Amino acid sequence: MSWWLVSFRRDGPARYISHLDTMRVVQRTFARAGIELALSQGMRPKPRLSLPLPLPTGAAGLDELAVVEVVEESAAALLPVRLAALRAAAADGLAIERLVIAGERPRPQAAAAAYECRLDAPGPAVDEALAWFAGQPCVSVVRQSPKGRRAIELKEYVCELSASPCDAGTKLAFTLRYGPGGSARVDEVVAALAARLEIEPVVLDLTRVRVTWQGLPSRSFAATDEIAPDGHVRGQRR
Amino acid sequence: MRSLPKESPGENRLQHDLTDLLARVARPGRYVGGEFHARRKPGATPRIVLSYPDVYEIGIANSGLQILYAGLNDATPAAAERAYCPWPDMATLMRARGVPLWSLESGAPVHEAALWGFTLQHELTYTNILEMLDLAGVPLHVAERGEADPIVLGGGPGTANPLPLAPFFDAFFVGEAEGRLAEIVAALEAPTRAQRLGRLGAVPGVWLPHASGGRAVATGKSGATMAGNGRVERQVFMGFAHTSPVTEPLVPLIEGVHDRAVIEVMRGCTAGCRFCQAGMWYRPVRERPVAMVVEAAARALRSTGCDEVSLISLSSCDYGGVREAIAGIRERFPHVRVSLPSLRVDSAAVVLARLGDEQRGSVTLAPEAGTQRLRDAINKRVDEQAFAAAVRGVFGAGYSGLKLYFMVGLPDETDDDVAAIAAMAESALRNAREAAPGRSRISIAVSSFVPKAHTPFERAGFAGEAVIRRRQELLRQRLPRQIRVRFHDVGTSLVEATMAMGGREAGALIEAAWRGGARFDGWSESFDAGIWRRAAAEVGIELGGPAWSSTEALPWRDVDPLVDDGFLRDEGARAVRAETTADCRDGSCTSCGVCGGEIEMELIR
Repeated sequence: MSWWLVSFRRDGPARYISHLDTMRVVQRTFARAGIELALSQGMRPKPRLSLPLPLPTGAAGLDELAVVEVVEESAAALLPVRLAALRAAAADGLAIERLVIAGERPRPQAAAAAYECRLDAPGPAVDEALAWFAGQPCVSVVRQSPKGRRAIELKEYVCELSASPCDAGTKLAFTLRYGPGGSARVDEVVAALAARLEIEPVVLDLTRVRVTWQGLPSRSFAATDEIAPDGHVRGQRR
Repeated sequence: MRSLPKESPGENRLQHDLTDLLARVARPGRYVGGEFHARRKPGATPRIVLSYPDVYEIGIANSGLQILYAGLNDATPAAAERAYCPWPDMATLMRARGVPLWSLESGAPVHEAALWGFTLQHELTYTNILEMLDLAGVPLHVAERGEADPIVLGGGPGTANPLPLAPFFDAFFVGEAEGRLAEIVAALEAPTRAQRLGRLGAVPGVWLPHASGGRAVATGKSGATMAGNGRVERQVFMGFAHTSPVTEPLVPLIEGVHDRAVIEVMRGCTAGCRFCQAGMWYRPVRERPVAMVVEAAARALRSTGCDEVSLISLSSCDYGGVREAIAGIRERFPHVRVSLPSLRVDSAAVVLARLGDEQRGSVTLAPEAGTQRLRDAINKRVDEQAFAAAVRGVFGAGYSGLKLYFMVGLPDETDDDVAAIAAMAESALRNAREAAPGRSRISIAVSSFVPKAHTPFERAGFAGEAVIRRRQELLRQRLPRQIRVRFHDVGTSLVEATMAMGGREAGALIEAAWRGGARFDGWSESFDAGIWRRAAAEVGIELGGPAWSSTEALPWRDVDPLVDDGFLRDEGARAVRAETTADCRDGSCTSCGVCGGEIEMELIR
């Protein structure tokens, strides 16, 4: 058995599916590629597959990560073959980019993620809303969940907010920090700004551009690293 | 990588509109396609759109549509695309923004297609058809359609009685279309709409409900007529046993209601259950060879990545090679589950089910009726001993749950028959506890009998709302508390019966209900009995459908099911006498009239 880190992009039609559907699509991709995933123990074994940072439905992800355990004892030299098989088996909108063998079970945790989306509002108005956001000591939203209501302080999590012009509105870019208590959600950030802008709180054209991970095994993985054909990491540029 | 379907005229505007819509609806994955094995043939003509008139998750799991989709795209010059019924949140947005219904493959408006085919699987999807026509901008009524509108064609088992839908459909294909796809596509090459319809009408199995040359037939109580291009024979695909099943089916990005590979092992059923329309409609039985089934399963599993394959048919336990097929698949794929739908009520069937799937926790058996007399009357040849053995077999094989299906409202049913359902369930519970103390759960599901066209009970009539409700209550009172019971909603059965038994006049009811807001009537959270009652009052129809006397002409008489009317009447008479009829696959021909000429039963042993 071996643990693999799989770097992939989710875009096109696949951006409109949920986290659980993405799990299933990735699992099926492995099955079609003829790569057997290891199964968990118990009455109802499940494939050992995790996507450590769920991507919201409707979002493209350019820097996504999956952690899988495969039945085979992987040799780095075989990774290009496996990668080619996965690419051929991937559904429309799922692009498998890199494979890396992890020496031990990886337990990556997201530290931060950069997002971009479109606001249906003119640039100057968005600039004013961002200035308002920056000037507030706190911007809270209330999150309703089956566990009850919880106040989320957006300014604990949101940083690097910026705006730029784009077709049909204004492009908003920001980074969410993740910690043990979780983070804010993209729709909560947009809702706070939309309230200020007096526009409909709808997240349009959301893309997760980049994710910064913690807890990856040494010498293994960063999503922008170049992976050599033998499966080894060629450079740790971040 | 494409972000949304393209290759359409005006694609930029549509793409922008779609992006905007998709951000505002639940489950946007329903509307974008992107399935593995989706076929895209940009520029190919004619463009055909296939629709299952329900939400995507239901429609994508329909194997009939997968067969036609693969057949049209892979074996004809046509480009076959798909559209499903948008959920009300999306429909509201589409209307507000003027976005017409699009097909998943190209993103082009459906109304630009040459042909729009609907599969008619059950009556409670009929208002969705009107919803889809309206969302696409295609006039609801045939008379209002022009040269640029697609020809709207219906197929599937609903064509057994196409009359209620006749106002909205240009044509119906009666029977199995696999063998006629090339002819249908060729007919679409004619230069004008009228010529295309004319050529379609010459394809065997195609019924044109508005053809002027047809004879008009009075249909009894309603006085409505059925002008058309004459009596049309149901088409039987005799290439079935010699043609591989679809092994590269659409694999959806979002999960459908059945998340597994599907191999159709057999078509048709000769068990002869007198309430079952499919059992009459898909005759004769044709079985695929075991080697073909195993090879197709292997290909489908590899090409889909599924971890389960279902060997489907109307009665897969009766498939002559079922044991060998399960063993053959499990030998090549030890971790794959092989499931069988519609288990026969006997212990051998339970053993077969276990052979294919050790993980499943429960099974379903369908005795259908509580007394031997009534089971004999409906020709469900199950006796008490076989039932008891099956129940012991279920729990002895390690299952922890058993669901039993029954019907109420069957012809000649009495209160005693309904009370016997409770007694049967109670005895099943006793047997279960003996076989597996401490881990036996039994539940029952009770549906309402709805008479269907071309069955021995086609003139039986619907029992009525009051009778069904009273019998449901009677049963509820008699069942032990340990047995969970779920009753099918009587309101939906009333509507279903009205469509199943109705003539052309029922079209006005469908339209009135749709205009009143009826959508997704098969969904309990969407069905609104009040809308249907108001619509029925508006058009002057009594819900529950007419009961046709033995002397009245039936509305669907111009649809020839190949099963003889005399056979159906004889079976109806035998039902009154509670006499069973044997399965003809056991050697004794029942003279149903289907076999003859090129049509014959094809058994592998």
